Amino acid sequence: MGSVLEKIVEQKHYSFIDGEGVTWQEAVRLSALPLVADGTVSEEYYKQIVACIEKYGPYVVFDHNVAMPHTTENAEGAFRTGVGLMICDKMIDFGEDEDGEKKEANLFFTLSAANADEHMDNIAQLSNIFMNDDLLDALAAARTPEEILKAAADFPCDEE
Amino acid sequence: MAKLDGKRILACCANGAGSSLMMENAIKKVMTRNGIKLAELRHCAVSEGKSAARNYDVVLFARPFAKTFDGIQGTTLIPLKNVMSDKEIEAALKEAGLLD
Repeated sequence: MGSVLEKIVEQKHYSFIDGEGVTWQEAVRLSALPLVADGTVSEEYYKQIVACIEKYGPYVVFDHNVAMPHTTENAEGAFRTGVGLMICDKMIDFGEDEDGEKKEANLFFTLSAANADEHMDNIAQLSNIFMNDDLLDALAAARTPEEILKAAADFPCDEE
Repeated sequence: MAKLDGKRILACCANGAGSSLMMENAIKKVMTRNGIKLAELRHCAVSEGKSAARNYDVVLFARPFAKTFDGIQGTTLIPLKNVMSDKEIEAALKEAGLLD
């Protein structure tokens, strides 16, 4: 099994947008489109993600402007396990968290979980990616799938 | 014997599928690094975690969910700023006196 970034490129689960004036709700919808395109998730799947963020706040936005929109395992409309990556030129505004800290993201790793083991493997790899600031900077600057792969090769994550 | 040996730890997030899994991974790293063998390490959604909390020695969750666990006693509650950070988890467990 290839790394999660290789799979994203192989399966064409990536997208690049400008992001100017895009709301976070719209950004979540856009980030799921590559997963919709090959039937990994339904067109309506993103609505559950939006509802969850509306309920609990922007807890899916982590340090370093990384968002991980997701729902539950075996959510309705999650047909296969997969990760979409959307890279934005501009930051998408998620409002403020419970401490009044501004939350914004330009990297969206959007998850669909249908198979527990595969999903766990994706999450473990994403944890390492999210702690790898050099890789995140390189991904935020990537504008082609080749540049995503180059970022992954240039800044490998520690295997643990 | 380390204080957390044989203890039960629960990690909670909104759906029990995203950040709670990340916490579980980070907790595993901390336990391996400190040579601790837990009796149980589990993740679930906060809705389930609220009623399950009393069956665990330690419950970890991201700070936005702290309100959900207000008033729960008999277990150590640890809210986290960064759910992926094994360093934060390690520091929090030390502060709670559960790790040397």
